[in-house]
Amino acid sequence: MTVLLEMQGITKKYGDFTANHDIHFDVRKGEIHALVGENGAGKTTMMRMLYGMEQPTAGRILVNGKEVHFHDPSQAIRHGIGMVHQHFMLFPSFTLAENIVIGGEPKKGAFFDRQSAADKVRELGERYGMPIDPWKKAGDCPLGIQQRTEILKVLYQGADVIILDEPTGVLTPGEVKELLAAIKGLAAQGKSFILITHKLHEVMEAADRITVLRDGVITGQMAANDTDEEQISRLMVGRELVQMSRAAREPGEKVLDIQAIKLAGGKGSKPLLDDVSLSVRRGEIVGIAGISGNGQSELLQVISGLRQPDRGTVELNGADVTGAPVRQIREQGLAHIPEDRYLWGASRDATVLDNGLMGHQQRFRKRGLIDRSSLRKVMNEWVQRFAIKTGSLDTQAQFLSGGNLQKLIAAREFAQQQPFLIAAEPTRGVDVGAMELIHGELLERCRGGDGILLVSSELTEILKLSDRILVMYEGRIAGELTAEQATEEQISLLMAGGKRQS
Amino acid sequence: MNVIKRTLLGMLQPVVAVLIGLIAGAVAILLIGDSVVDTYREMWNGAFGSFYFLTNTLTRATPIILTGLGVALAFRAGFFNMGATGQMVLGGLAAAITGLYMPGPGWLVMIMALLVGMVVGGLWSLFAGYMDARFGVNLLISTLLLNYIASLFAGYMVSFPLKDRTGSAAMSQTPMLEADVWLPKLFSGMSLHAGFILAVLAAVAIYIFIHHSVAGYEIRMLGNNPFFAAYGGVKRGRMMVVAMLTSGALAGLAGAGEVLGTQHRYLDGALTSADYGWSGIMATLLASSHPIGTAVAGILLAALQTGAMGVERNTNVPLEVASVIQATLTLFVSARFGYLFLKRRKERKNNGSAV
Repeated sequence: MTVLLEMQGITKKYGDFTANHDIHFDVRKGEIHALVGENGAGKTTMMRMLYGMEQPTAGRILVNGKEVHFHDPSQAIRHGIGMVHQHFMLFPSFTLAENIVIGGEPKKGAFFDRQSAADKVRELGERYGMPIDPWKKAGDCPLGIQQRTEILKVLYQGADVIILDEPTGVLTPGEVKELLAAIKGLAAQGKSFILITHKLHEVMEAADRITVLRDGVITGQMAANDTDEEQISRLMVGRELVQMSRAAREPGEKVLDIQAIKLAGGKGSKPLLDDVSLSVRRGEIVGIAGISGNGQSELLQVISGLRQPDRGTVELNGADVTGAPVRQIREQGLAHIPEDRYLWGASRDATVLDNGLMGHQQRFRKRGLIDRSSLRKVMNEWVQRFAIKTGSLDTQAQFLSGGNLQKLIAAREFAQQQPFLIAAEPTRGVDVGAMELIHGELLERCRGGDGILLVSSELTEILKLSDRILVMYEGRIAGELTAEQATEEQISLLMAGGKRQS
Repeated sequence: MNVIKRTLLGMLQPVVAVLIGLIAGAVAILLIGDSVVDTYREMWNGAFGSFYFLTNTLTRATPIILTGLGVALAFRAGFFNMGATGQMVLGGLAAAITGLYMPGPGWLVMIMALLVGMVVGGLWSLFAGYMDARFGVNLLISTLLLNYIASLFAGYMVSFPLKDRTGSAAMSQTPMLEADVWLPKLFSGMSLHAGFILAVLAAVAIYIFIHHSVAGYEIRMLGNNPFFAAYGGVKRGRMMVVAMLTSGALAGLAGAGEVLGTQHRYLDGALTSADYGWSGIMATLLASSHPIGTAVAGILLAALQTGAMGVERNTNVPLEVASVIQATLTLFVSARFGYLFLKRRKERKNNGSAV
């Protein structure tokens, strides 16, 4: 097979820090080449150099055998390299067709030819097995369709090599299956993919070849047929992973008890929460599965006091805290790893130190002032224990990678020492090593008699940790399963609203 | 080490901005055809050239520093308090009334007048905060508009009910305060009064409050990311009261200090025509709301103004050169402010949107 793209001995240094060292990497025609590695392993740096956003310190990049120097992404695009970013870059108020042809609009005279754009887009979607409705507004489409649009946009620009950065992070299990099938189909038609991901089962399902990166160095490169998930994780982490499992536990009394919570939606729309009741006992992990946007966020906001329910009661650690202020609820026994680390969980402009202080203000108060030296001591322990990579405690949080910030937030909330913990997407975007650590800590806390409410869009995570599983659909609890009964298929069905139709 | 570094960085920004302003001024002077070096030498002399001019500059800096500190605190909490002028005017008026009508020994009246000025300025500022919290009136707009109400109300008060009818001059002003309630001068024969000491102390106190106290931490987090603050149990309402009250109180103190230390009466227009309030906001923005930096920027702005008077006294270059420099600064500052404001709005809008 012909080699389309090749990196030879690429090294990238930022000052003294080596992000990539002596990278040899190539992509062949019609191949899906997975690039895996923990956060900070240097995957992003590599791709930024391929896409012209960074220039290598040493080494050569070859396209079709000829050396190239990209100074910005438009040059990469002209050489047939396209990138679909982790966060979609669509204009929500534009139609899908408009989003796709942007920058290369078909014209009739001096005017934008909408009809021909829509025709082209429809034809493009059909040719590549990813049909979309070109007239729909991007903002009205589910995330799976938005992603399809992103890929079509790159194809429209004439890309032969497409970089997919964490493409499945926001998709439902069904959408993930469709996506993987679609890129396999495209590969069969001769397009090549670089698939960046954390999820090893996706790698095993879709990739032809796999390159593993650790600390900026390639630690393994092999055909997917010759390897397995265990070997890949070993290469990523550099050591054996411990298999964890839920030990049989005897749950204690209720630490959280929610009765008939109702939360109205906007005028004329469905209620956001409709008669939700659930309880969490000490020594128990209750998992909430569901496609995001089915009321999980609102439920957590009601429990933690960020939103007032219209009806119903929340009882925490033996006291009624319905509608109480956040601080009182936290003092009554809540720790909370929030679902969106940038919106709720951290302040990007503040230092790591300031981010770690939140919720611990009373503990580190000394005559009204912050006892920074004690805080530093405690936080240095967190940094060690969770292997948080940060310049120093005085670095601004925005310079931490997403996974490291997540570890910081988890460490902060584990340190609250409260009997009830909300863990919402606790391992979103973190690497395998950190995931192992956070999962271990959750199980540890649970064994120690704390109650945990786990909300996750990752079914494997829910299945691995939960004693009981609740599935939310359109603001209701659509079903409850015990850990023994639950299978991925059953949960997927409930997540899609299956039970109510049958 | 770190504290020193951060403080130095806080001071660096205003200095750099002023340097750029001076370059713009130099271009203007060259266009007129005068000597840049001579003009700036006169400006330096006018601002710092002798002990007299230095104290003059510091006197002018006093209300700028105080209002600037107040604005800095509000900005840090994410509240765009543009009402320093009005809060200062009412604080000054209240201090004048207290000084004129309160019985008792002079030193006590003076302290009470300062306190009353602070309370009135604080309440005026808090009123805007209340309207924001209760009715959703945009703080930026309400504080701006309340400036007019305050200035015109104070103007009315000294034109009619409180007007000084003792002298022959038909000025809109209150009668002169008794000399024993004046803020003491720091050096005899110089204009510098004890208000400057208060301003310096306030800068240090606000610095410690913002950067080292628990309440200051909560205010900073609220300003950085209100969602994060809410999640962590910071009470927005309470922080708004603290921030707006303190912010207005500092502006009120600036007004009271001017009345008790410089004018010795409330003179209509004396506080507004010198633009102390706006200079204070500018000092804050130049220093990115760092308290010590705000104080430094306040002195630089005052120096620019007093220096320009020196330029006009001794050269052919008009006073307006200072306006060119100030306008350049304003341009920088408003670009920065606009950016901050838009960034906050955008962040709020982005809440939960998937695309």
